[in-house]
Amino acid sequence: MIVLQNLIDAVSLGAVYALAALGIGLIFSVMRLINFAHGELIMVGGFTLYTLAGQPLLVMILAALLTSTVLALGMERVAFRTLRKASPATLLISSFAVSYLIQHIVLLAFGSRAMGVAFLPELGTAIDLGGLRIPLLQLVTIAVTLVLMAGLVAFFRLSETGLQMRAAAEDFTMARLVGVKANRVIAFAFAISGVLASIVSFYLVAQTGSVSYKMGVSMVLIAFVSSVIGGMGSIAGAALGGFLVGIVSVSLQAYLPVDLRPYRDAFVFLLFVLFLFWRPDGLLASRADRDRV
Amino acid sequence: MLKIRDLHVSYGNIAALRGISLDVGKSEIVAVIGPNGAGKSTLLLAIAGVVRARAGSVEFDGRAITGQQPEALVTTGLSLVPEGRHIFGSLSVAENLRLGATVRRDRQEVARDIDRVLAMFPILRERYRQRANKLSGGEQQMLAIGRAMLARPRLLLLDEPSLGLAPLIVAQIYEAVRALRDQGVTALIVEQNVGRALSAADRTYVLSSGVIAMSGKSAEFAGNAAFDAAYFGVAEAAR
Amino acid sequence: MVENSLFRPLQTALVLILALIAVALCASIAPPALQRTVIEALIKLTVVVGLFIFVGQSGVFSFGHVAFMAIGGYMSAILTLAPARKATLLDLPGAIEALQLPWPLALVAVIVAVGVLATVVGWPFCRLRGIALPMATFALLIITYVVASNWQQVTGGRQALVGLPRYVGLWTAFGGAALAILVAAGYAMTRHALMLRCSRESEVAAAATGIDVERERLIAFVLSAMVVAAGGVLFSHFIGTITASTFYLDLTFVTLTMLVVGGMRSLTGACAGVALVSLVSELLRSVERGVAIGDVTIAAPPGLQEIVLAALLLAILVLRPAGLLGDAEIGWPSFRRAAPATATRQQG
Repeated sequence: MIVLQNLIDAVSLGAVYALAALGIGLIFSVMRLINFAHGELIMVGGFTLYTLAGQPLLVMILAALLTSTVLALGMERVAFRTLRKASPATLLISSFAVSYLIQHIVLLAFGSRAMGVAFLPELGTAIDLGGLRIPLLQLVTIAVTLVLMAGLVAFFRLSETGLQMRAAAEDFTMARLVGVKANRVIAFAFAISGVLASIVSFYLVAQTGSVSYKMGVSMVLIAFVSSVIGGMGSIAGAALGGFLVGIVSVSLQAYLPVDLRPYRDAFVFLLFVLFLFWRPDGLLASRADRDRV
Repeated sequence: MLKIRDLHVSYGNIAALRGISLDVGKSEIVAVIGPNGAGKSTLLLAIAGVVRARAGSVEFDGRAITGQQPEALVTTGLSLVPEGRHIFGSLSVAENLRLGATVRRDRQEVARDIDRVLAMFPILRERYRQRANKLSGGEQQMLAIGRAMLARPRLLLLDEPSLGLAPLIVAQIYEAVRALRDQGVTALIVEQNVGRALSAADRTYVLSSGVIAMSGKSAEFAGNAAFDAAYFGVAEAAR
Repeated sequence: MVENSLFRPLQTALVLILALIAVALCASIAPPALQRTVIEALIKLTVVVGLFIFVGQSGVFSFGHVAFMAIGGYMSAILTLAPARKATLLDLPGAIEALQLPWPLALVAVIVAVGVLATVVGWPFCRLRGIALPMATFALLIITYVVASNWQQVTGGRQALVGLPRYVGLWTAFGGAALAILVAAGYAMTRHALMLRCSRESEVAAAATGIDVERERLIAFVLSAMVVAAGGVLFSHFIGTITASTFYLDLTFVTLTMLVVGGMRSLTGACAGVALVSLVSELLRSVERGVAIGDVTIAAPPGLQEIVLAALLLAILVLRPAGLLGDAEIGWPSFRRAAPATATRQQG
């Protein structure tokens, strides 16, 4: 029973990590940018919920989706577009700067203390399923993630834009040579990552009941690790990596000796480093990322 | 149709092209030959908008296209088949061909054009649903050309289409180029395979160290002492 | 010409140190608040120059060097705190609890220990290629942070360790910065640094010419970790307290900004970056404290400083990706010849 309980914990946490990692992986696949500022897309989603607390649920959700998406498109337009030819390391530093900038603008506007938000408190209740007590939030998270992933798969497989994004992810210059519009594909990737980020913010706010200007940071670090494990540039890999990291985190939380549990994240990152030695390109690496001679 | 005047391209401090002037007329097949590092690929990349020119002009159908983005140039009727083919390996043959028609909106005509490509390269029909990285080198080259054709280009730029391929396959590919010309498609081909280039092209330019060393009708090149000197001489000097 | 280019880093170092002396002399007669700012900038300079040894020569970003600051700071704290205080704050083995070293000895011990630690960590790390190495350094930062903020017995956990001997004044900080610059310049003159700079342009090409990129990276990594750790020691003993959260993402961001703004491929650039960022921060800090205009005091809200810094970094990355100075170095004016320098560059 405990094993099953842990499994559900792992899958629901993995689902959230997968959504966050997808946002990072998607951007990396089209422009070799590891977007540290993805955490801030999550954060502004949360702050939109905070600002609109008390409004009808649908208004809150739509507004948060809109804010994250607009911010995602905005950071691409203002910061990253001019840096498109820069090296991945320079791009990473610039996303660091964007992240720091947005964090402190929010700090300036809302202060540094975490603030409570009542968002979907009814999801905090647990339901009884044959002896298992499962928080509703976990079930909703898993369901939402599955629907989103199915939607994304359909988008990439069936739509013209999805096909163009896959082509751009594999060989950006060649994609342009067949007429794929660089700006359009990249803007699309940012828009999707904005939507994914705001959905992650729904989970975080519903789970913790609060928002703070640093709320996106730890999620983005996990998302990083997940997308690297999956294979930077591979969209399916990012999702896989997210689930794996979720499973590992929950397992460590459940099975580490009590004294060592506070160090769970250290173990996660240690395992990550070990993983890098084993598979530096990740599990489902795309060929294009290797150092070319 | 294509008019290049005094084109200069540099990578950092290194000049790759130093004042190239070149013309391609309608329905012509023109070859550019030259030793490794002469700047042949750079020339095609500069025409297609992938690398920026430092100076000079490129005109396509009387319109200046210097400095335009590659995706914009495809819509004006110019398609590049780059060296190394660059097919999308993780996508299927069908998807690669569909991507070739990215700039077009006439879906039914596209379907018909895909049929034409498959008729020209029947092996691609057999492999239609497979991932493109499962294809052999020759098949990949056919796919790359087919993909470029689907944009309905008026000018096709081919970079080393024979590189690393068996003679039989090379013959098939050049046959396709000639068939395309009969349909009115102009071609500018970069080749290291001198014999193949001279026999396929109406006119040939010899490029060496970023400048045009010689140009003329291909037929006049074979056995021409000046050509031997220009081509092999510069090849010698380049070493 | 050969001699000139070989000893160029040394000339650069001497010019930079002279500039530092000028700054320190001015600071010594400045009001205490300003003097503190200069001391802090000098310590950051030590750290950024340390970071430059690895990042500047290898071209590989490290997000983990602040971890060595933390490790250095905590080690030095444990070695210099009074036993009685350790007994109340921490839960250390008896021998370590009883040990109290004079600070110079502690500093040397910490630098040596971090050298060993960095070798152990860096040896596998430097085998990683591409983006995997920066990622691993990131993980190092996070692991160190998590451990430091939870290891109650040794670090005091989330509580700050207080009562560190505050031995760092203006001239100690100056000494640290000057030594760091000399170490960086001395290293830049070695053939190890030269080989590492080759690998910066192309990992593959350098390996093909027989350069052991992994080994050269490791040497720079260890050396830079030691300098950065020394910076961490000075930092902790300047403030007098040490907290795990000090040595995390924000400080990583600030030090990387300093390096990138000035030009990460140049020692002069690293110093210029520290100077510029410190200057901007100090100006903004004074604005945050409030500017009196007549009877009205206008104070900028907290957070403005960070916003401006981030915007500055972004502007530099967009407008001058190589930093303000690119790879240019300041030289000895009378020895400076433009011609040989350009000739070298064309060959390279």
